[in-house]
Amino acid sequence: MELSEYIIRSKKLVKDSSMKDVRIAFLSNFTITGIAEIMKSLCFEYGIYAECYTSLYNQYAQDILNKSSELYNFKPDVIFILLDIENLFGDNYYFYYRMNVQQRNDFIQENFDEIKGLIRILEENTNAKIIVNNLLVPNYSSRGIIENKQEFGIKKGVCHFNDMLELLSINNSKLFIFDMNSFCSRIGYEFVYDQKMSYLGDMKISPSGLVKLSSKYMGYIIPLMSITKKCIVLDLDNTLWGGIVGEEGIENIKLGPEKEGKPFMDFQKRLLELFERGVILAINSKNNYEDAIEVIKNHKYMILKEHHFASMKINWQDKITNIKEIAKELDIGLDSLVFIDDDKTNREFVREFLPEVLVLDIPEDHCFYPSIIENLVVFNLFNITDDDLNRGRMYADQNKREQFKVEITDVESFLKQLKIKVNIIKVGKMTIPRVAQLTQKTNQFNLTTKRYQEENIQNFLESGDYVIKCINVNDRFGDYGITGVIIVRKHDDEGYWNIDTFLLSCRILGKNIEFSLMQNLIDDAKKAGIKKIHGKFVSTKKNKPAENFLEECGFILNKDENEERDYILNVGNEKRNNSYVEVL
Amino acid sequence: METLKKLFAKVLDIDENDINDSSSPDSIASWDSFNGLMLVSELEKNFNVRFNINEVMSVKNFKDVKWILKKHNVTEGIDG
Repeated sequence: MELSEYIIRSKKLVKDSSMKDVRIAFLSNFTITGIAEIMKSLCFEYGIYAECYTSLYNQYAQDILNKSSELYNFKPDVIFILLDIENLFGDNYYFYYRMNVQQRNDFIQENFDEIKGLIRILEENTNAKIIVNNLLVPNYSSRGIIENKQEFGIKKGVCHFNDMLELLSINNSKLFIFDMNSFCSRIGYEFVYDQKMSYLGDMKISPSGLVKLSSKYMGYIIPLMSITKKCIVLDLDNTLWGGIVGEEGIENIKLGPEKEGKPFMDFQKRLLELFERGVILAINSKNNYEDAIEVIKNHKYMILKEHHFASMKINWQDKITNIKEIAKELDIGLDSLVFIDDDKTNREFVREFLPEVLVLDIPEDHCFYPSIIENLVVFNLFNITDDDLNRGRMYADQNKREQFKVEITDVESFLKQLKIKVNIIKVGKMTIPRVAQLTQKTNQFNLTTKRYQEENIQNFLESGDYVIKCINVNDRFGDYGITGVIIVRKHDDEGYWNIDTFLLSCRILGKNIEFSLMQNLIDDAKKAGIKKIHGKFVSTKKNKPAENFLEECGFILNKDENEERDYILNVGNEKRNNSYVEVL
Repeated sequence: METLKKLFAKVLDIDENDINDSSSPDSIASWDSFNGLMLVSELEKNFNVRFNINEVMSVKNFKDVKWILKKHNVTEGIDG
């Protein structure tokens, strides 16, 4: 779609009450008219309603420095900063080599310090995520072929600027650097930068470039709104390998290190890499099970093996039913799924009947299969935790547990024999990212569904007014990682505590672990001489599993209003529940 | 490929019938400098041509656009 179409479309978007809101600000030193409209349209496709603010032409610094500026009044959730190097460096962009080496160093450092200062002011005055484009390294130098032999030449200088910017963002949960250089190297500098547009209207990014850039910017909006996808559902024939195994046989399908077999192998490598980063893989294929599984088990060049798939639906059922079953089996929402299938009819079918599932467009030419993955922004996270890295293995462990369940018939002995061990830990620096992530991602067993960023948790801890704990669970089949969080606001002066957040990942539901965690909280309260614990259940579309939990623990309903129920527990009146769990 | 009038109407978000040879930034409110740039970008793509900056600057009205496109040997989709 062209920029003008985005602009027209953005005017017609109507907010639906089920949509999430996001406020996006754009600051720049050149004309970026249109970017707000594109982002609004793209957000809308993900069920997000965006309000946007764009700084006046080249007034980003004024906006940042003036604490009562429109930027701050706007209260952005995310701020994108786009700086053009020519506008930033002025004449020194052209006459860089009039400066001696020391002056060049100073010049780059001064420019960096200025930007760094502005970023710091933004950080202090907003809670927004701040995304800064790095500077485009010039592709021309008057020094020509010996540019890179110059001491602190212009390219080195700009790279140094970018390195410092990147360094500033490491260990900073608010600041992210968008790599303009790799963006341009992928889609082409001459596509992004159109001289005529630049001279006519100081548009340093062409209309088509703005469209592409915005789709990359969605990579930040997705984790911000906690809508990161979790699982890729894959077709087999002509998707993971070339040809149809049922017709051509295992020896004739295209999969291998040469020519037309290679894109499939590389595509699988890209998928495996995502799996190793925590993305769940599943199969949804119309095939004879024996034919397909033979390829998966025995084909020499198959990169993805049986144990990489959390679910394999290889049958003659329709694809919709299979997808629904996969979601149910893995206990994740349809909106966490991405569907990849070479067959256009299948894709349209899924789009039509399961609109929550993200269905990817697939190029006709298999050579472009690896880039399907390379262009995805929906698996982005602000922080990759150990739990993310282990998720693939955890889901494989889950398969083993399911088989064990079949062998043992009653739940009690099943739970006992699982030998569940729960470690209840005080939240600290190491666990904050995972705790924030759980508040954003947990929908089912979640009493209040409050979403927190890392900074919020950090602030709670620093205030000293909160008890924040998380749980690490393992059983005889493996480690589930950190899978539960409790955040309690202490009101010691008034003699009560209030449960702000109580959640368990769906991975560990059905094991009565929640009762151990509650018991731990009650024990803490007793030790602190607290007589009452307040709790609340806020009903959402998804949190039915937690609905009766407080009552089951002995809490008494105090107030029932619309979607909210207030409970109070008189400490000492709690109900003991068998938990079959060993608390460490 | 879209016709010139359709493209103009789309970018400027106006009715095709409201465009005639004398249409200009003075007579069409949405034909501002930014939409002018978008017109350049989308005309170039649609008709597969590249205008030079003097051509862009010389445009005073719709008729000028037709004339420049003809200069670039575009024959289809201009009239009507």
